[in-house]
Amino acid sequence: MKLALIRIGFYAILFVVWYLIVKVGEIPNYILPAPIDVFESFYFGFLKGGYLIGIFSSLVRVLIGYFLALIIGVVTGILLARYYLLDITFGKSILALQSIPSVAWVPLALLWFGITDKAVIFIIILEAVLPVALSTKNAMKNIPLNLIRAAQTLGSKGLHLYQNVILKAMIPELVTGLRLSWAFAWRALIAGELFISGAGIGQTLELGRSLADMAQVISMITTIGVIGFLTENIFFGSIEKNVRLAWGLDAQK
Amino acid sequence: MDELSPKIEFKNVSKSFDHNSNAEKILEDISFDIYADEFVCILGPSGSGKSTVLGLIAGFIKATSGKISFNSKPIKRPDSSRTLVFQDYALFPWLNIIDNVGFGLTTKTKNKNEIRGKALEYLNLVGLSAYKDHSISQLSGGMKQRVAIARALCAEPEVLLLDEPFGALDQQTRENMQIEILRLWGKSKKTVVFVTHSVDEALKLADRIILIGGKPGKLLYNTNISISRPRDLKDSELNKIRSQIIDRLAQPEFSMGSGI
Repeated sequence: MKLALIRIGFYAILFVVWYLIVKVGEIPNYILPAPIDVFESFYFGFLKGGYLIGIFSSLVRVLIGYFLALIIGVVTGILLARYYLLDITFGKSILALQSIPSVAWVPLALLWFGITDKAVIFIIILEAVLPVALSTKNAMKNIPLNLIRAAQTLGSKGLHLYQNVILKAMIPELVTGLRLSWAFAWRALIAGELFISGAGIGQTLELGRSLADMAQVISMITTIGVIGFLTENIFFGSIEKNVRLAWGLDAQK
Repeated sequence: MDELSPKIEFKNVSKSFDHNSNAEKILEDISFDIYADEFVCILGPSGSGKSTVLGLIAGFIKATSGKISFNSKPIKRPDSSRTLVFQDYALFPWLNIIDNVGFGLTTKTKNKNEIRGKALEYLNLVGLSAYKDHSISQLSGGMKQRVAIARALCAEPEVLLLDEPFGALDQQTRENMQIEILRLWGKSKKTVVFVTHSVDEALKLADRIILIGGKPGKLLYNTNISISRPRDLKDSELNKIRSQIIDRLAQPEFSMGSGI
Protein backbone atom coordinates (compact mmCIF):
# COMPACT_ATOMS: atom_id res chain seq x y z
CA MET A 1 0.00 0.00 0.00
CA LYS A 2 2.74 2.39 0.99
CA LEU A 3 4.73 1.19 -2.01
CA ALA A 4 1.80 1.95 -4.31
CA LEU A 5 1.48 5.46 -2.90
CA ILE A 6 5.18 6.12 -3.45
CA ARG A 7 4.90 4.95 -7.04
CA ILE A 8 1.81 7.05 -7.75
CA GLY A 9 3.60 10.02 -6.22
CA PHE A 10 6.62 9.41 -8.44
CA TYR A 11 4.57 9.42 -11.63
CA ALA A 12 2.56 12.44 -10.54
CA ILE A 13 5.78 14.38 -9.99
CA LEU A 14 7.15 13.14 -13.32
CA PHE A 15 4.09 14.40 -15.20
CA VAL A 16 4.12 17.75 -13.41
CA VAL A 17 7.81 18.30 -14.17
CA TRP A 18 7.22 17.23 -17.78
CA TYR A 19 4.30 19.67 -18.05
CA LEU A 20 6.30 22.52 -16.52
CA ILE A 21 9.27 21.95 -18.82
CA VAL A 22 7.03 22.09 -21.89
CA LYS A 23 5.09 25.17 -20.71
CA VAL A 24 7.92 27.21 -19.19
CA GLY A 25 10.40 26.31 -21.95
CA GLU A 26 7.77 26.97 -24.63
CA ILE A 27 8.85 23.81 -26.40
CA PRO A 28 7.02 23.23 -29.71
CA ASN A 29 4.58 20.37 -29.91
CA TYR A 30 6.56 18.38 -32.48
CA ILE A 31 9.62 18.32 -30.22
CA LEU A 32 7.92 17.49 -26.93
CA PRO A 33 4.14 17.55 -26.44
CA ALA A 34 2.61 18.08 -22.99
CA PRO A 35 1.45 14.96 -21.11
CA ILE A 36 -2.18 15.78 -21.85
CA ASP A 37 -1.51 15.68 -25.62
CA VAL A 38 -0.06 12.22 -25.29
CA PHE A 39 -3.07 11.05 -23.27
CA GLU A 40 -5.31 12.53 -25.93
CA SER A 41 -3.41 10.67 -28.63
CA PHE A 42 -3.85 7.44 -26.67
CA TYR A 43 -7.52 8.14 -26.12
CA PHE A 44 -8.41 8.87 -29.73
CA GLY A 45 -6.04 6.27 -31.10
CA PHE A 46 -7.69 3.50 -29.11
CA LEU A 47 -11.23 4.91 -29.40
CA LYS A 48 -11.14 5.24 -33.16
CA GLY A 49 -9.43 1.89 -33.53
CA GLY A 50 -6.31 2.96 -35.39
CA TYR A 51 -3.97 1.85 -32.63
CA LEU A 52 -5.87 -1.35 -31.89
CA ILE A 53 -5.69 -2.49 -35.51
CA GLY A 54 -1.98 -1.69 -35.53
CA ILE A 55 -1.34 -3.63 -32.33
CA PHE A 56 -3.40 -6.57 -33.53
CA SER A 57 -1.58 -6.83 -36.88
CA SER A 58 1.75 -6.59 -35.13
CA LEU A 59 0.86 -9.34 -32.68
CA VAL A 60 -0.23 -11.62 -35.52
CA ARG A 61 3.08 -11.02 -37.30
CA VAL A 62 5.22 -11.58 -34.24
CA LEU A 63 3.35 -14.74 -33.25
CA ILE A 64 3.70 -16.27 -36.71
CA GLY A 65 7.40 -15.46 -36.78
CA TYR A 66 7.90 -16.64 -33.21
CA PHE A 67 6.22 -20.02 -33.63
CA LEU A 68 8.04 -20.72 -36.88
CA ALA A 69 11.27 -19.80 -35.08
CA LEU A 70 10.41 -22.22 -32.26
CA ILE A 71 9.94 -25.14 -34.60
CA ILE A 72 13.11 -24.38 -36.57
CA GLY A 73 15.04 -23.63 -33.38
CA VAL A 74 14.11 -26.81 -31.51
CA VAL A 75 14.94 -29.00 -34.51
CA THR A 76 18.24 -27.15 -35.08
CA GLY A 77 19.10 -27.46 -31.39
CA ILE A 78 18.47 -31.19 -31.32
CA LEU A 79 20.60 -31.66 -34.46
CA LEU A 80 23.41 -29.57 -32.96
CA ALA A 81 23.35 -31.60 -29.76
CA ARG A 82 23.39 -34.90 -31.61
CA TYR A 83 25.86 -34.24 -34.42
CA TYR A 84 29.27 -33.10 -33.28
CA LEU A 85 30.41 -32.13 -36.78
CA LEU A 86 27.44 -29.80 -37.20
CA ASP A 87 28.10 -28.24 -33.82
CA ILE A 88 31.77 -27.38 -34.44
CA THR A 89 30.95 -25.85 -37.85
CA PHE A 90 27.47 -24.34 -37.99
CA GLY A 91 27.14 -24.30 -34.20
CA LYS A 92 30.05 -21.88 -33.90
CA SER A 93 28.72 -19.49 -36.54
CA ILE A 94 25.44 -19.23 -34.64
CA LEU A 95 27.26 -17.24 -31.97
CA ALA A 96 28.45 -14.78 -34.63
CA LEU A 97 24.95 -14.56 -36.08
CA GLN A 98 23.62 -13.68 -32.67
CA SER A 99 25.74 -10.54 -32.51
CA ILE A 100 24.07 -9.09 -35.61
CA PRO A 101 21.28 -6.70 -34.60
CA SER A 102 17.96 -7.28 -36.34
CA VAL A 103 18.00 -3.97 -38.26
CA ALA A 104 21.09 -5.16 -40.10
CA TRP A 105 18.93 -7.80 -41.80
CA VAL A 106 16.34 -5.28 -42.99
CA PRO A 107 17.98 -4.35 -46.32
CA LEU A 108 18.47 -8.01 -47.17
CA ALA A 109 14.91 -8.91 -46.22
CA LEU A 110 13.47 -6.01 -48.23
CA LEU A 111 15.38 -7.04 -51.36
CA TRP A 112 14.28 -10.66 -50.98
CA PHE A 113 10.67 -10.17 -49.98
CA GLY A 114 9.80 -6.53 -50.79
CA ILE A 115 8.05 -4.24 -48.32
CA THR A 116 5.71 -7.01 -47.16
CA ASP A 117 4.79 -8.99 -44.07
CA LYS A 118 7.11 -11.73 -45.22
CA ALA A 119 10.14 -9.49 -44.81
CA VAL A 120 9.23 -8.76 -41.17
CA ILE A 121 8.48 -12.40 -40.38
CA PHE A 122 11.81 -13.35 -41.95
CA ILE A 123 13.66 -10.91 -39.69
CA ILE A 124 11.76 -12.15 -36.64
CA ILE A 125 12.64 -15.76 -37.42
CA LEU A 126 16.32 -14.91 -37.92
CA GLU A 127 16.44 -13.21 -34.54
CA ALA A 128 14.27 -15.57 -32.54
CA VAL A 129 15.61 -18.87 -33.84
CA LEU A 130 19.06 -18.55 -32.30
CA PRO A 131 18.23 -18.43 -28.58
CA VAL A 132 15.84 -21.36 -28.98
CA ALA A 133 18.40 -23.42 -30.89
CA LEU A 134 21.13 -22.69 -28.35
CA SER A 135 18.98 -23.40 -25.31
CA THR A 136 17.64 -26.60 -26.87
CA LYS A 137 21.19 -27.73 -27.56
CA ASN A 138 22.37 -26.89 -24.05
CA ALA A 139 19.29 -28.35 -22.40
CA MET A 140 19.86 -31.59 -24.23
CA LYS A 141 23.54 -31.73 -23.36
CA ASN A 142 22.92 -30.85 -19.72
CA ILE A 143 20.49 -33.65 -18.92
CA PRO A 144 22.04 -35.48 -15.95
CA LEU A 145 23.35 -38.80 -17.29
CA ASN A 146 22.11 -40.62 -14.21
CA LEU A 147 18.51 -39.60 -14.89
CA ILE A 148 18.66 -41.26 -18.29
CA ARG A 149 20.44 -44.29 -16.87
CA ALA A 150 17.92 -44.61 -14.05
CA ALA A 151 15.09 -44.49 -16.58
CA GLN A 152 16.80 -47.09 -18.75
CA THR A 153 17.28 -49.53 -15.91
CA LEU A 154 13.61 -49.04 -15.05
CA GLY A 155 12.77 -50.28 -18.53
CA SER A 156 12.30 -47.00 -20.39
CA LYS A 157 13.62 -46.75 -23.94
CA GLY A 158 12.89 -45.24 -27.36
CA LEU A 159 9.83 -43.01 -27.51
CA HIS A 160 8.94 -43.59 -23.85
CA LEU A 161 12.39 -42.36 -22.82
CA TYR A 162 12.13 -39.26 -25.05
CA GLN A 163 8.62 -38.31 -23.92
CA ASN A 164 8.94 -39.05 -20.24
CA VAL A 165 12.53 -38.23 -19.42
CA ILE A 166 14.61 -36.42 -22.05
CA LEU A 167 11.95 -33.87 -23.00
CA LYS A 168 10.87 -33.31 -19.40
CA ALA A 169 14.42 -32.83 -18.18
CA MET A 170 14.96 -30.19 -20.90
CA ILE A 171 11.97 -28.03 -20.06
CA PRO A 172 13.42 -25.59 -17.46
CA GLU A 173 16.32 -24.58 -19.69
CA LEU A 174 14.07 -24.57 -22.74
CA VAL A 175 11.62 -22.15 -21.09
CA THR A 176 14.44 -19.69 -20.45
CA GLY A 177 15.33 -19.93 -24.13
CA LEU A 178 11.72 -19.38 -25.16
CA ARG A 179 11.55 -16.23 -23.09
CA LEU A 180 14.78 -14.82 -24.48
CA SER A 181 13.64 -15.71 -27.96
CA TRP A 182 10.36 -13.84 -27.46
CA ALA A 183 12.26 -10.75 -26.33
CA PHE A 184 14.37 -10.93 -29.52
CA ALA A 185 11.27 -11.48 -31.67
CA TRP A 186 9.56 -8.43 -30.18
CA ARG A 187 12.54 -6.16 -30.91
CA ALA A 188 12.93 -7.55 -34.42
CA LEU A 189 9.24 -6.96 -35.09
CA ILE A 190 9.44 -3.25 -34.38
CA ALA A 191 12.68 -2.84 -36.33
CA GLY A 192 11.20 -4.59 -39.34
CA GLU A 193 7.85 -2.83 -39.24
CA LEU A 194 9.42 0.61 -39.52
CA PHE A 195 10.27 -0.20 -43.12
CA ILE A 196 7.24 -2.01 -44.47
CA SER A 197 3.77 -0.90 -45.52
CA GLY A 198 0.54 -2.02 -43.86
CA ALA A 199 -0.90 -1.72 -40.38
CA GLY A 200 1.34 -2.28 -37.38
CA ILE A 201 2.88 -0.66 -34.34
CA GLY A 202 6.07 0.14 -36.23
CA GLN A 203 4.13 1.80 -39.07
CA THR A 204 1.97 3.79 -36.66
CA LEU A 205 5.19 5.01 -35.09
CA GLU A 206 6.68 5.86 -38.47
CA LEU A 207 3.46 7.62 -39.50
CA GLY A 208 3.72 9.77 -36.37
CA ARG A 209 7.20 10.80 -37.44
CA SER A 210 6.20 11.74 -41.00
CA LEU A 211 3.25 13.80 -39.71
CA ALA A 212 5.46 15.40 -37.05
CA ASP A 213 2.92 14.08 -34.52
CA MET A 214 5.18 13.59 -31.55
CA ALA A 215 2.25 12.67 -29.27
CA GLN A 216 1.58 9.65 -31.48
CA VAL A 217 5.28 8.75 -31.51
CA ILE A 218 5.46 8.83 -27.73
CA SER A 219 2.24 6.88 -27.25
CA MET A 220 3.48 4.15 -29.63
CA ILE A 221 6.87 3.94 -27.89
CA THR A 222 4.99 3.58 -24.60
CA THR A 223 2.76 0.87 -26.10
CA ILE A 224 5.82 -1.08 -27.29
CA GLY A 225 7.31 -0.88 -23.82
CA VAL A 226 4.13 -1.91 -22.03
CA ILE A 227 3.36 -4.89 -24.28
CA GLY A 228 7.00 -5.97 -24.17
CA PHE A 229 7.06 -5.75 -20.38
CA LEU A 230 3.78 -7.63 -19.92
CA THR A 231 4.75 -10.49 -22.23
CA GLU A 232 8.43 -10.84 -21.32
CA ASN A 233 8.21 -10.37 -17.60
CA ILE A 234 4.68 -11.08 -16.48
CA PHE A 235 3.70 -13.88 -18.89
CA PHE A 236 7.01 -15.66 -19.53
CA GLY A 237 8.33 -14.69 -16.11
CA SER A 238 5.51 -16.50 -14.33
CA ILE A 239 5.81 -19.57 -16.57
CA GLU A 240 9.51 -19.72 -15.84
CA LYS A 241 8.93 -19.33 -12.12
CA ASN A 242 6.28 -22.05 -12.03
CA VAL A 243 8.42 -24.47 -14.02
CA ARG A 244 11.41 -23.89 -11.74
CA LEU A 245 9.20 -24.52 -8.74
CA ALA A 246 7.66 -27.68 -10.19
CA TRP A 247 11.11 -29.00 -11.14
CA GLY A 248 12.40 -28.30 -7.64
CA LEU A 249 15.04 -25.85 -8.89
CA ASP A 250 13.88 -23.08 -6.57
CA ALA A 251 12.95 -23.72 -2.97
CA GLN A 252 9.24 -23.75 -2.21
CA LYS A 253 8.03 -20.94 0.01
CA MET B 1 15.70 -72.14 -12.95
CA ASP B 2 18.79 -74.19 -12.44
CA GLU B 3 19.89 -73.56 -8.86
CA LEU B 4 23.52 -74.17 -9.65
CA SER B 5 24.01 -71.79 -12.55
CA PRO B 6 24.94 -68.29 -11.41
CA LYS B 7 22.54 -65.35 -11.73
CA ILE B 8 25.34 -63.08 -12.90
CA GLU B 9 28.60 -64.28 -14.32
CA PHE B 10 31.78 -62.27 -15.04
CA LYS B 11 34.38 -64.11 -17.07
CA ASN B 12 37.76 -62.42 -17.64
CA VAL B 13 36.14 -59.03 -18.00
CA SER B 14 38.26 -55.99 -18.84
CA LYS B 15 37.12 -52.44 -19.50
CA SER B 16 38.94 -49.45 -20.96
CA PHE B 17 37.61 -45.97 -21.61
CA ASP B 18 38.94 -43.78 -24.40
CA HIS B 19 40.21 -40.37 -23.35
CA ASN B 20 41.43 -38.35 -26.34
CA SER B 21 42.90 -41.40 -28.09
CA ASN B 22 44.43 -42.64 -24.82
CA ALA B 23 42.78 -45.81 -23.64
CA GLU B 24 42.52 -45.78 -19.86
CA LYS B 25 42.18 -49.21 -18.36
CA ILE B 26 39.61 -49.34 -15.57
CA LEU B 27 39.10 -53.06 -14.94
CA GLU B 28 41.43 -55.94 -15.71
CA ASP B 29 40.54 -59.59 -15.99
CA ILE B 30 37.71 -59.74 -13.47
CA SER B 31 35.92 -63.04 -12.94
CA PHE B 32 33.24 -63.84 -10.36
CA ASP B 33 29.78 -65.35 -10.02
CA ILE B 34 26.76 -64.02 -8.20
CA TYR B 35 23.98 -66.45 -7.29
CA ALA B 36 20.26 -65.87 -6.90
CA ASP B 37 19.11 -64.28 -3.60
CA GLU B 38 22.67 -63.45 -2.58
CA PHE B 39 23.52 -60.14 -0.94
CA VAL B 40 26.86 -59.30 -2.51
CA CYS B 41 28.97 -56.28 -1.64
CA ILE B 42 31.47 -55.02 -4.17
CA LEU B 43 34.07 -53.31 -2.04
CA GLY B 44 36.91 -51.12 -3.18
CA PRO B 45 38.59 -47.73 -2.79
CA SER B 46 37.49 -44.75 -4.91
CA GLY B 47 38.62 -45.05 -8.51
CA SER B 48 39.00 -48.82 -8.42
CA GLY B 49 36.26 -49.27 -11.01
CA LYS B 50 33.64 -50.79 -8.72
CA SER B 51 30.90 -48.54 -10.08
CA THR B 52 31.93 -49.62 -13.57
CA VAL B 53 31.20 -53.20 -12.51
CA LEU B 54 27.68 -52.10 -11.64
CA GLY B 55 27.30 -50.26 -14.96
CA LEU B 56 28.37 -53.43 -16.75
CA ILE B 57 25.75 -55.48 -14.90
CA ALA B 58 23.07 -52.83 -15.51
CA GLY B 59 23.99 -52.87 -19.19
CA PHE B 60 24.73 -49.22 -19.99
CA ILE B 61 28.48 -49.89 -20.09
CA LYS B 62 29.93 -52.46 -22.51
CA ALA B 63 32.90 -54.62 -21.62
CA THR B 64 36.04 -54.20 -23.75
CA SER B 65 36.77 -57.90 -23.49
CA GLY B 66 35.47 -60.90 -21.59
CA LYS B 67 31.96 -62.21 -21.04
CA ILE B 68 29.18 -60.99 -18.78
CA SER B 69 26.00 -63.04 -18.53
CA PHE B 70 22.73 -62.69 -16.71
CA ASN B 71 20.64 -65.86 -16.36
CA SER B 72 23.24 -67.44 -18.69
CA LYS B 73 22.49 -64.93 -21.46
CA PRO B 74 24.83 -62.06 -22.48
CA ILE B 75 23.81 -58.60 -21.22
CA LYS B 76 23.05 -56.31 -24.17
CA ARG B 77 21.25 -53.28 -22.80
CA PRO B 78 19.66 -51.98 -19.59
CA ASP B 79 16.25 -53.34 -18.71
CA SER B 80 14.00 -53.56 -15.68
CA SER B 81 15.21 -57.00 -14.62
CA ARG B 82 18.21 -55.19 -13.15
CA THR B 83 17.36 -51.84 -11.55
CA LEU B 84 19.91 -49.44 -10.14
CA VAL B 85 19.88 -47.10 -7.13
CA PHE B 86 22.30 -44.19 -7.45
CA GLN B 87 24.22 -42.33 -4.78
CA ASP B 88 22.72 -39.04 -6.00
CA TYR B 89 19.22 -40.65 -6.02
CA ALA B 90 18.54 -39.67 -9.68
CA LEU B 91 14.86 -39.13 -8.92
CA PHE B 92 12.78 -37.35 -11.57
CA PRO B 93 12.24 -33.84 -10.16
CA TRP B 94 9.15 -33.17 -12.30
CA LEU B 95 7.27 -36.12 -10.83
CA ASN B 96 5.87 -36.32 -7.32
CA ILE B 97 6.90 -39.16 -5.06
CA ILE B 98 4.31 -41.75 -5.98
CA ASP B 99 4.81 -41.13 -9.71
CA ASN B 100 8.56 -41.55 -9.27
CA VAL B 101 8.00 -44.91 -7.62
CA GLY B 102 5.57 -46.00 -10.32
CA PHE B 103 7.78 -44.88 -13.22
CA GLY B 104 9.04 -48.34 -14.11
CA LEU B 105 5.50 -49.66 -14.43
CA THR B 106 4.57 -46.95 -16.95
CA THR B 107 6.79 -48.75 -19.45
CA LYS B 108 4.69 -51.89 -19.05
CA THR B 109 1.08 -50.81 -18.60
CA LYS B 110 -1.20 -47.83 -19.18
CA ASN B 111 -3.53 -48.74 -16.33
CA LYS B 112 -3.12 -45.76 -13.98
CA ASN B 113 -4.93 -47.37 -11.05
CA GLU B 114 -2.78 -50.45 -11.21
CA ILE B 115 0.39 -48.33 -11.30
CA ARG B 116 -0.71 -46.18 -8.38
CA GLY B 117 -1.75 -49.20 -6.34
CA LYS B 118 1.59 -50.95 -6.85
CA ALA B 119 3.56 -47.77 -6.23
CA LEU B 120 1.69 -47.16 -2.98
CA GLU B 121 2.45 -50.70 -1.90
CA TYR B 122 6.19 -50.15 -2.32
CA LEU B 123 6.02 -46.68 -0.81
CA ASN B 124 4.39 -48.35 2.17
CA LEU B 125 7.22 -50.83 2.31
CA VAL B 126 9.77 -48.04 2.80
CA GLY B 127 7.44 -46.25 5.22
CA LEU B 128 6.75 -43.17 3.11
CA SER B 129 3.14 -43.60 1.97
CA ALA B 130 2.16 -40.46 3.90
CA TYR B 131 4.38 -38.43 1.57
CA LYS B 132 3.01 -39.83 -1.68
CA ASP B 133 1.93 -36.48 -3.16
CA HIS B 134 4.94 -34.48 -1.99
CA SER B 135 7.52 -33.18 -4.42
CA ILE B 136 11.06 -34.52 -4.39
CA SER B 137 12.60 -31.25 -3.24
CA GLN B 138 10.66 -31.47 0.04
CA LEU B 139 12.43 -34.65 1.16
CA SER B 140 15.63 -35.20 3.16
CA GLY B 141 18.50 -37.24 1.71
CA GLY B 142 17.54 -40.41 3.56
CA MET B 143 13.92 -40.13 2.43
CA LYS B 144 14.99 -39.53 -1.16
CA GLN B 145 17.06 -42.69 -1.07
CA ARG B 146 14.09 -44.64 0.32
CA VAL B 147 12.00 -43.36 -2.60
CA ALA B 148 14.76 -44.37 -5.01
CA ILE B 149 14.86 -47.87 -3.50
CA ALA B 150 11.06 -48.14 -3.66
CA ARG B 151 11.21 -47.02 -7.30
CA ALA B 152 13.84 -49.65 -8.11
CA LEU B 153 11.84 -52.41 -6.35
CA CYS B 154 8.51 -51.36 -7.87
CA ALA B 155 9.80 -52.20 -11.36
CA GLU B 156 9.99 -55.79 -10.01
CA PRO B 157 13.59 -56.56 -10.91
CA GLU B 158 15.36 -59.85 -10.34
CA VAL B 159 18.51 -58.03 -9.29
CA LEU B 160 18.74 -54.82 -7.29
CA LEU B 161 21.93 -52.84 -7.91
CA LEU B 162 23.00 -50.15 -5.44
CA ASP B 163 25.86 -47.75 -6.21
CA GLU B 164 27.18 -46.39 -2.89
CA PRO B 165 23.57 -45.67 -2.00
CA PHE B 166 24.24 -44.31 1.48
CA GLY B 167 27.44 -42.43 0.66
CA ALA B 168 25.79 -39.01 0.80
CA LEU B 169 23.96 -39.63 4.08
CA ASP B 170 24.97 -38.74 7.62
CA GLN B 171 26.17 -41.53 9.93
CA GLN B 172 22.89 -42.01 11.85
CA THR B 173 20.75 -42.10 8.70
CA ARG B 174 23.27 -44.38 7.09
CA GLU B 175 22.99 -46.93 9.89
CA ASN B 176 19.19 -46.82 9.78
CA MET B 177 19.26 -47.32 6.03
CA GLN B 178 21.57 -50.34 6.39
CA ILE B 179 19.01 -51.99 8.68
CA GLU B 180 16.29 -50.96 6.24
CA ILE B 181 17.96 -52.48 3.18
CA LEU B 182 18.49 -55.79 5.01
CA ARG B 183 14.83 -55.79 5.99
CA LEU B 184 13.73 -55.09 2.40
CA TRP B 185 16.06 -57.76 1.07
CA GLY B 186 14.65 -60.26 3.59
CA LYS B 187 11.12 -59.41 2.52
CA SER B 188 11.51 -59.28 -1.25
CA LYS B 189 14.21 -61.95 -1.65
CA LYS B 190 16.05 -60.41 -4.54
CA THR B 191 19.63 -60.71 -5.59
CA VAL B 192 21.36 -57.59 -4.30
CA VAL B 193 24.65 -56.16 -5.56
CA PHE B 194 25.75 -53.36 -3.29
CA VAL B 195 28.77 -51.20 -4.11
CA THR B 196 30.54 -49.48 -1.24
CA HIS B 197 33.98 -48.21 -0.22
CA SER B 198 33.26 -48.78 3.48
CA VAL B 199 34.74 -52.03 4.79
CA ASP B 200 32.45 -51.98 7.83
CA GLU B 201 29.35 -51.45 5.72
CA ALA B 202 30.29 -54.46 3.60
CA LEU B 203 31.01 -56.57 6.70
CA LYS B 204 27.65 -55.64 8.20
CA LEU B 205 25.58 -56.37 5.10
CA ALA B 206 27.12 -58.92 2.80
CA ASP B 207 26.72 -62.65 2.30
CA ARG B 208 29.77 -62.27 0.17
CA ILE B 209 32.37 -59.58 -0.37
CA ILE B 210 34.04 -59.08 -3.72
CA LEU B 211 37.07 -56.84 -3.24
CA ILE B 212 38.33 -54.81 -6.18
CA GLY B 213 41.43 -52.63 -5.97
CA GLY B 214 44.43 -51.24 -7.77
CA LYS B 215 44.69 -49.31 -11.00
CA PRO B 216 43.35 -50.80 -13.19
CA GLY B 217 40.97 -52.54 -10.81
CA LYS B 218 41.61 -56.20 -10.28
CA LEU B 219 39.79 -58.78 -8.22
CA LEU B 220 41.70 -58.95 -4.95
CA TYR B 221 39.50 -61.10 -2.77
CA ASN B 222 36.20 -62.95 -2.92
CA THR B 223 34.92 -64.30 0.37
CA ASN B 224 31.70 -65.58 1.93
CA ILE B 225 30.49 -64.33 5.29
CA SER B 226 28.18 -66.82 6.94
CA ILE B 227 27.61 -64.96 10.21
CA SER B 228 23.97 -64.33 11.06
CA ARG B 229 22.57 -60.80 11.14
CA PRO B 230 22.41 -58.36 12.88
CA ARG B 231 26.16 -58.51 13.12
CA ASP B 232 28.47 -57.16 15.77
CA LEU B 233 31.44 -55.54 14.07
CA LYS B 234 33.66 -56.60 17.00
CA ASP B 235 32.98 -60.25 16.22
CA SER B 236 36.30 -62.13 15.97
CA GLU B 237 35.50 -63.74 12.61
CA LEU B 238 34.55 -60.37 11.10
CA ASN B 239 37.79 -58.94 12.48
CA LYS B 240 39.70 -61.66 10.69
CA ILE B 241 38.00 -60.88 7.39
CA ARG B 242 38.55 -57.17 7.92
CA SER B 243 42.27 -57.56 8.43
CA GLN B 244 42.51 -59.81 5.38
CA ILE B 245 40.76 -57.13 3.31
CA ILE B 246 43.03 -54.39 4.62
CA ASP B 247 46.11 -56.51 3.96
CA ARG B 248 45.10 -57.01 0.37
CA LEU B 249 44.31 -53.35 -0.16
CA ALA B 250 47.67 -52.34 1.26
CA GLN B 251 49.68 -54.45 -1.19
CA PRO B 252 47.51 -55.29 -4.10
CA GLU B 253 50.33 -56.30 -6.44
CA PHE B 254 51.67 -58.99 -4.06
CA SER B 255 48.35 -60.50 -3.15
CA MET B 256 47.12 -61.12 -6.67
CA GLY B 257 45.64 -64.54 -6.93
CA SER B 258 46.32 -65.62 -3.36
CA GLY B 259 42.83 -65.43 -1.94
CA ILE B 260 40.81 -66.04 -5.07
